[in-house]
Amino acid sequence: MKRFNAYALTFRLPIIIWQGLFFIGPLAFTIAMSFFLVKNFRMEEAFEMKNWSRMLSRGYVWDSYWFTLMMAAGSAALTSLLAFPASMYLAFRSSESMRRWAIFLLIIPFFTSYLVRTFSWYVILAESGVINAGLGLIGLGPFTMLNTIFGTLVGYVMLTLPLVVILQTVTLASIDRSLIQAARNLGCGPVRVIFATILPAAKTGLIVAALFAFILAFGDFVAPYYLGGSKPPTLPILIIDTTKAGQQWPRAAVVAVMMMVTLFVIAFTAILLAYRKRASR
Amino acid sequence: MSEPLVVLDGVEKRFDDFVAVRRADLTINAGEFVAIMGPSGCGKTTTLRMLAGLEDPSAGTIHIDGKVMNGVPPHERDTPMVWQTLALFPFLNVRENVEFGLKMRGVAAPERGRRAKDWLERMEIGEFAGRNIETLSGGQKQRVALARALVTEPRLLLLDEPLSALDAHLVIRMQSVLTRLQRELGITFVYVTHSQSEAFAMADRIVIMASGEVAQVGGAREIYRNPANRFVAEFVGRNTILTGSVEGARLKTALGSFTMPGQGTQPADGTQANLVIAADRLQIGRGPLEVENTLRATLISEEFVGAFVTLFLEAEDGTEFKVQLQESALGALDLSSGGTFHLGWRGEQAHLMIEDAR
Amino acid sequence: MTWVLRGYTALLFTFVFAPIFFSMMFSFNSARFPTLPLEGFTTHWYETIFADEDFWRAARNSLIVSVSTGVLATILGFCTAYSDYRYRFRGQGAYLAIILLPPTIPLIVMALAMLAWFSKVGISGQVWTIIIAHTVLTAPFAMAIIRLRLNQIDASMEAAAWNLGASEWRAMREVILPFCRPAILSSLFLTAAVSFDEFTIAWFVSGLNKTLPVHVLEIVQGTIDPQVNAIGTLVFLTSMTLVIAAQLSIFFRLQRSTR
Repeated sequence: MKRFNAYALTFRLPIIIWQGLFFIGPLAFTIAMSFFLVKNFRMEEAFEMKNWSRMLSRGYVWDSYWFTLMMAAGSAALTSLLAFPASMYLAFRSSESMRRWAIFLLIIPFFTSYLVRTFSWYVILAESGVINAGLGLIGLGPFTMLNTIFGTLVGYVMLTLPLVVILQTVTLASIDRSLIQAARNLGCGPVRVIFATILPAAKTGLIVAALFAFILAFGDFVAPYYLGGSKPPTLPILIIDTTKAGQQWPRAAVVAVMMMVTLFVIAFTAILLAYRKRASR
Repeated sequence: MSEPLVVLDGVEKRFDDFVAVRRADLTINAGEFVAIMGPSGCGKTTTLRMLAGLEDPSAGTIHIDGKVMNGVPPHERDTPMVWQTLALFPFLNVRENVEFGLKMRGVAAPERGRRAKDWLERMEIGEFAGRNIETLSGGQKQRVALARALVTEPRLLLLDEPLSALDAHLVIRMQSVLTRLQRELGITFVYVTHSQSEAFAMADRIVIMASGEVAQVGGAREIYRNPANRFVAEFVGRNTILTGSVEGARLKTALGSFTMPGQGTQPADGTQANLVIAADRLQIGRGPLEVENTLRATLISEEFVGAFVTLFLEAEDGTEFKVQLQESALGALDLSSGGTFHLGWRGEQAHLMIEDAR
Repeated sequence: MTWVLRGYTALLFTFVFAPIFFSMMFSFNSARFPTLPLEGFTTHWYETIFADEDFWRAARNSLIVSVSTGVLATILGFCTAYSDYRYRFRGQGAYLAIILLPPTIPLIVMALAMLAWFSKVGISGQVWTIIIAHTVLTAPFAMAIIRLRLNQIDASMEAAAWNLGASEWRAMREVILPFCRPAILSSLFLTAAVSFDEFTIAWFVSGLNKTLPVHVLEIVQGTIDPQVNAIGTLVFLTSMTLVIAAQLSIFFRLQRSTR
């Protein structure tokens, strides 16, 4: 197959050209753009560190950076914890057909507008919204839930929970049952069974699920903006503000590159952790 | 009748560093049923795929019907194949599967339908013409695959272990279907298999391949009685092999000196040679035997197949002897009391093999 | 213990589906601010959006974008899946990476990158700019769906077609494409559905050619307007139709082959 093969190239080349022009191209250009200059509201192609030194020396950028990182990591942990009992139930205590139905149901949210769902939560969490109206009937509240960290977390969990439950359930369901049976026979109680056999066996899947939750939350602007009131703005909001408000695209590019590098480091670490062989004892 | 249809001339096939076929020279005559047999990885399937044009030889030439076939793409050959997995098209029904080859050759629809119907009826599956492939049994699928390959009336049919997925009783049944078809059509079958019983039951000639080379070509009887080399002797049948050096008319081995069968030319003294004794030609007894070659060995195990039994014995130097006899002959041997037995054979019933010490 | 877990799981599903449910419910509620207790039943919000030219323009754009994206992403995904299935070649890992990576890049980063790049090469703000961006984003899904289907093909099936006289192109048309048909349909529907709901990239690169989700985004930015619930319900029904169609195209395939 060394010779020129028109048939093979017809199928192989399109995606290389397409992704080269419209995926690699834009990403590479974004990195380049972070070194451009803006003069008189016009972008000039250059290679200067100005944007980087400016952005990295601003306190609000770092506040935003750590806040976004902590929120995304926290919500990934929270979602994983919230999802785990349900995944355990679906994986071990429910019938095969029920599990399939549950997974089918959990796919639905991916195809409903995330914006509309966020709007719906806005209405539910508002001062005069559904929850406070309900609590009012028993003489409680009203509680402020919008424009708080709680609001942002509700949004993040809503975004990531279905995927995390699906990934966890699939992972747990594929654990060898005889392993659990063996632990039981050795006299392990339910809690010890979870810590001694299930968690180690499902480690890879659980970490991958949490990683996906992190990636989704890290890049989301809707929840922190509409439910969290942008206090403080997260990195995605920073990108939007810098891009949409002024002509400071190079500064937005700096934030975008920061996000990509962070994501790369975290994904790499997580995958290393997930696939590392357990130390032999 | 016996002009060569297929000629392989020094054919070689390498995949990167791996040599699948080292050197194959082979002539297949028109109307022959040839089986290519060997252990997995011996190059038999690669040889078949080269005939179909699915692989191009790295060296050497392949002639089919007098034409050099190197570089001719598969779809421009008339070498239909019956696949190990059958490879029927699941999105087409039975009739459409059979028509496929005709459709690709531009045969008009009414003609296609007529010929497909003929073949389905010939294969006794006419009633399934409209059925979905997945609803058929293994044997029925096999017949569809045969009909699909034969509908274009080729001169050469390639078969790649087509019976390996079938139950034992269906294998026997399909063997007779295949041999009958081949006789009736008078076309050439090249049949790749790892099964001795399939090859011996059906083929006019058998090609034994080992590590990418043709080890022996011949009729079933010839291969069984006169293996050309140690590989064939071990691969085919139950043979005991004694190695030694020629000393006059005898072969001197670690177990003693034995007579050699008459040869065309007498090998020189000191030549390394193998004596091959088929399991059904070894005699066994509790007392001394009245043949020119005898020795003693201990019983290790026995294996019953139908009315026959094979005994495995070990001589003092560890050489394994295989003896096949009628189950009814066991009574005289009194196996259960163990101990040593006398083994023996007539000199002219052994086969002398002078060859490489592979 | 099981009962506690079952109750908890039910609660979690309630959390997931509550917003969808409330959104549908409030789309028929006459109150200007959606809350409990419900006021009267109304179709006012639907009438409002149906009378709104912006809505129709956005809906038309969304339709064009999602259908074109579905077709393009499926073609690209098919070619890539087939290349990966059929050939072993140098750099295959990198080849797979460039098609499979886009979903792991945050949408907001993709959005900025696309906006900047398209402006640079002078094609920003067009409907087909959104189509290009969405195709990059959804081609991996198409590739994955079709590649899974190709995993199930009998390893000799394509060779069997050549062996019976079909050229490579003919075998593609007569064997590979028919075999992949359910996956191709499924991919068309799913990629169209993903594109139909995507708003971050669309918002950045669309310019004046808004899609439906971008239209919603702009309404939400202004005030609390129950129109959003009505649009959301319509969008939900459209997406679900596509997803169910995708499921059925695989399901019916199974039905046919087990009949």
